[in-house]
Amino acid sequence: MSETLVADRSRHGRLRRPSGEPPPLPRQFNKVAIAWLAAFVGWAIVWAWVFLSDDPAIWITERDLELMGPIVDNRAGWLTPSMKAINEIGTHWATPIVGWLALVGALLSKHVRHAVLLIVSLAIIAGVVTIVTTQIDRPRPLGVTQIGDWEGFAQPSRPVALLTGALVAAGLTLVPSVPWRRYWYRATTVLIAVFGFAQLYTGVDHPTDVFAGATVGVAVPLVLYRVLAPEMVFPITYGGGSTAHLDVTGPRGDAIRRAMADQLGVQVADVTPVGLEGSAGSTPLRIVDVAGEVLFAKLYASSHLRSDRSYKLGRTLLYGRLEDEQRYSSVRRLIQHEDYMLYVLRAAGIDCQEPCGIVEITPDREYLLVTEFLEGAVEISEAEVTEEIIDEGLELVRKLWRAGLAHRDIKPANVMVQGDRLRIIDVAFAQVRPSPWRQAVDLANMMLVLALRSSPELVYERALRLFTADDIAEAFAASRGVTLPSQLRSDVRHDGRQLLERFRELSPERAPVAIQRWSLRRIGLTVWVGLIVAFLIAIFVDNLSDIGLL
Amino acid sequence: MSTRRHLARHRRLARVGAASAVLLVAAACSVELATPPPGCAGGSGLIAAQSVPTAEQIPCFEDLPEGWSFATVNVNQNGTVVRLDSDRAGTTAATLRFEENCDLGAAVAVPSNVDEVERFDFIERLEPSFRAQTYYVFDGGCVTLEFDFDRGASATESVALDDIVAFVSRQDLNESIRESFIDEEL
Repeated sequence: MSETLVADRSRHGRLRRPSGEPPPLPRQFNKVAIAWLAAFVGWAIVWAWVFLSDDPAIWITERDLELMGPIVDNRAGWLTPSMKAINEIGTHWATPIVGWLALVGALLSKHVRHAVLLIVSLAIIAGVVTIVTTQIDRPRPLGVTQIGDWEGFAQPSRPVALLTGALVAAGLTLVPSVPWRRYWYRATTVLIAVFGFAQLYTGVDHPTDVFAGATVGVAVPLVLYRVLAPEMVFPITYGGGSTAHLDVTGPRGDAIRRAMADQLGVQVADVTPVGLEGSAGSTPLRIVDVAGEVLFAKLYASSHLRSDRSYKLGRTLLYGRLEDEQRYSSVRRLIQHEDYMLYVLRAAGIDCQEPCGIVEITPDREYLLVTEFLEGAVEISEAEVTEEIIDEGLELVRKLWRAGLAHRDIKPANVMVQGDRLRIIDVAFAQVRPSPWRQAVDLANMMLVLALRSSPELVYERALRLFTADDIAEAFAASRGVTLPSQLRSDVRHDGRQLLERFRELSPERAPVAIQRWSLRRIGLTVWVGLIVAFLIAIFVDNLSDIGLL
Repeated sequence: MSTRRHLARHRRLARVGAASAVLLVAAACSVELATPPPGCAGGSGLIAAQSVPTAEQIPCFEDLPEGWSFATVNVNQNGTVVRLDSDRAGTTAATLRFEENCDLGAAVAVPSNVDEVERFDFIERLEPSFRAQTYYVFDGGCVTLEFDFDRGASATESVALDDIVAFVSRQDLNESIRESFIDEEL
């Protein structure tokens, strides 16, 4: 290729997005959420007005009593037991049942963020209801005999607000958006309508108490989830797919096509996910342009950034500074780093993908890193591993060492064989001037990858041509389960040949290198995280009843 | 607007949002005090009256004596329960229950300050800790003021509470509603 792909392609792209023009996938606040937020604000204005003056309270109460008068004045003997039962179930049982089912379901399906948002939603609903009820001090309907269960002031209705909130949050937490959530919302509407009617029939709430409660119950979780767990970034999926993988059809697929054309001059004909099983930190894509040329792209979103932060925090707590790295502050930084590392590795003579450029999908939230597609390449675990391939793999590590680099994620999914070439991909974790320990682990991981499709004796023999026996001994002294990427760890376990132990037998004896690194920072962080978790659990347990879960 | 300023604005909004959420969550954490006690000059008097619809008299609290504070207030269809803490007599040292009926047991009648209300007292024990009940009985309802002091706390602490429980008649409450709110009654 005479020119780089970057130069070749960017010539056809627009110079820049004109000021004021929206990005390919603008961050949009859901219109439905805006409508409910507006309704909530409307109620807030009414509450403030009622707080400041008796006149609106009188007018609203008179209208309320006019509306509910025909209902309470015509209570039917055959209907009353059912209405009382619905009032009792809705007030005491429904919210804990729905809330706990949703919470356990979210944790079992690993939607931890959604589980936290469910609890926060209920806490905020309880907080709003508490604040408003104590300011408005509205009694139960006057002139009406209450025949149902109730507690405290009436406006807004606490049980209606909490049950609505639990149902809406459960839908947002557990139900896939297409096509089921629509049905969930319809069922929720019917349930709340029936419960609301029972509240009026039993005389415990005014109509406006029910409507205000329902508004709070819908608006709080809807807005919270839309802002902190938007469906586009944190979709609810089942069936074994990684939560890291984003849907590239619909608006995002259109945005990718538009962005590729505008920013790289590539007219995209097809975008499909590829190699999802080997990727957990991004959504890898195969992009075909109208001329049939194929490109590879990794889609990074803020969900990946947060996963990366959680992963690093967990590693720091469990092992100290095992990864020798800081978290990324933004998706932009994350993708810039990977793009930069591709250039650095290629400059060091390491055969990784040629970068084509970064494509902005949503500013600061979603980017594509576009590279060449390794046509015809297969993962090393599916290829024949010859002596030449083994030598190339070991030479790759030698080059990394020589250039002062570490790949840090050497596993079968990232070592590709294209014809007779061995190529390394996914350099997101690569590091300049890593610790000697980290470089040693790279060597051990590469030798394990190569040995999975050959023999440890052959790999060890070939390694001695490039590394000293002491280097290899240090590599395996530094390696153990946690230093192996999870795919490699799993493959080694299933291989059954005890590869790690065999390499240790082949190499000179050396004491294991300690992984645990204790520092004041780690101790402080552990104590801090422990305190926060204990505090949050204590608050949660102490307020189970208040947020409707008990 | 530059991206940096745009981002800064988003961060500020996020901080304000987070702070608001924390405040609301904190409010939720103190939800047990969501209902104020039935005060003689406001509070939850109306719903306390609704909690015992048969009662002709509704209990209400004057200002608490020094050292006493309201712990929890629960008002529902079964009645009203107010728990009080004392810095000397202990946590939940006094509990007021407003219900339709109460079991007077071995309590003896004593003079009452309110015409329509009869008073009965029963001292269960003085040592090792003071435990006693005062009953206020009236048409359609009853108020029990139960003392359960910590060991060593003086029984005289209960005397301070004698004067803070007052009563307002349902008729007066209804007249007040008609005059200042709407033409309805409890």
